[in-house]
Amino acid sequence: MNDPTTPPGGQAVRLWVSWLLVAALLGYGITQTAITAAKLFA
Amino acid sequence: MSLFSALDHKHTIAPPGYSRWLIPPAALAVHLCIGQAYATSVYKNSLIAHFHTSQTAIGIIFSIAIVMLGLSAAFGGTWVEANGPRKAMFVSACFWASGFLVGALGIGTKQLWLVYLGYGFLGGIGLGIGYISPVSTLIKWFPDRPGLATGLAIMGFGGGALVASPLSRQLLSYYDPAYRPSVASSVASGHALVLLFVTLGVTYFVIMMFGVVNVRVPREGWRPAGFDPAIATAKPLVTTGNVSAANAIRTRSFWLLWIVLFCNVTAGIGILEQASPMIQDFFRTGGTSSVAVAAAGGFVGLLSLFNMAGRFAWSSTSDVIGRKPIYFVYLGVGMVLYALLASAGHLSTALFVLLAGAILSFYGGGFATIPAYLRDLFGTYQVGAIHGRLLTAWSAAGIAGPLIINGFLDAQGKPGTLTATAYRPALFTMVGILAVGFLANLLIRPVSERFHEPVTGSAPERAAVPVPATKGAPDNE
Repeated sequence: MNDPTTPPGGQAVRLWVSWLLVAALLGYGITQTAITAAKLFA
Repeated sequence: MSLFSALDHKHTIAPPGYSRWLIPPAALAVHLCIGQAYATSVYKNSLIAHFHTSQTAIGIIFSIAIVMLGLSAAFGGTWVEANGPRKAMFVSACFWASGFLVGALGIGTKQLWLVYLGYGFLGGIGLGIGYISPVSTLIKWFPDRPGLATGLAIMGFGGGALVASPLSRQLLSYYDPAYRPSVASSVASGHALVLLFVTLGVTYFVIMMFGVVNVRVPREGWRPAGFDPAIATAKPLVTTGNVSAANAIRTRSFWLLWIVLFCNVTAGIGILEQASPMIQDFFRTGGTSSVAVAAAGGFVGLLSLFNMAGRFAWSSTSDVIGRKPIYFVYLGVGMVLYALLASAGHLSTALFVLLAGAILSFYGGGFATIPAYLRDLFGTYQVGAIHGRLLTAWSAAGIAGPLIINGFLDAQGKPGTLTATAYRPALFTMVGILAVGFLANLLIRPVSERFHEPVTGSAPERAAVPVPATKGAPDNE
């Protein structure tokens, strides 16, 4: 964890990894749910 | 720096140049994990079979967790404010993960009380602390768009169930090849349940650590580039004063907001709790429903998507049109939609799904917009703790909503024989409940200045704009 006196290093990488993790989790959940929901109109 | 001192509030102050866009994924890392609480139905039947017990005995696990969520959010809010988001997220992760591990021990040894203690008690504390941990921090990082920021995080709680439900089904199938998730009567073995709980506990702990590592609080006086607090506070009801959690619960506005949240959640839970049988009953003719069980499951999934999308979309919209107007939409338009559902929902499946979906989007929106509404009324000082206290409305609605709808339906006939007509009394009662919420929202006024914390020189963000800043006539609380 960064000490508050040190400037943030690798922030762009951290941003990408964080949002990719969120996108992967939500993407998985939404896709799986959409597949189930499609049965309603099948 | 030791691990524990790294968790302290003073060590989480962001260095210059720290991107505020790292905070929403940190919050989402926590909320996506604790949102699993809404996916417990996936393994409920397997637990019933494993423990050879009743639905009620297993249902108590979830009830304990939700009660502990409300209690820990209400009583732990001030601790979260004092210790900062990193320590709160870490504590939440420890409780949440240990809840799964103790629960796994209970399943493995066939000791149901250990599951109550683990997932219910310990996990419930993790739920409550985790739910409120990022709220105050997000509002401080996004003073220009608090609705968007808290909407993103609280969307994660809705999204957590979307992730956990299919993941749990797939993991159970992997650990127990004989288990068939698509067959209603199929149950997973105790061994598979133990492995599922251990896997979820360890995985959630790791994901929540992403949030712990990335979360930072802005240094005092920090503002986003180009942000002028005077413009933000020029809206009705938005204060520049700060109210403590102890004082907030002494104000009329807090309790009116409690009623608003209670009514909005009660109405939404009525549909959520009954979703699967409800769509089958609405399209039942001659004792047979035209909607199959699998399709009804699809409807439940679709409602989850509407619920999640509403949390982000409506909360973000509140930044543009204001908090009070958006609650008029949730409650006022919600009344119209409920009345339409009761009177015309049976005419077509598409219309029924559209109406129920819109209602559920307002339900989610109501949850996600509350922190920003609290910020507007009480300032940022202890908004997380105030939010925690307000969440008791959720616990109360969690009891009232199902009681109302089940009470009416029990009087109409037996499950599996009901039709759309049987739902009308319950749905029109929800219209009345939303009307009460609408009235409560109408009565909300700016909080009187006598509840504000004194302005000190050491709080530049408070001193930056002169007090009083409340607009309109304060209520005489």
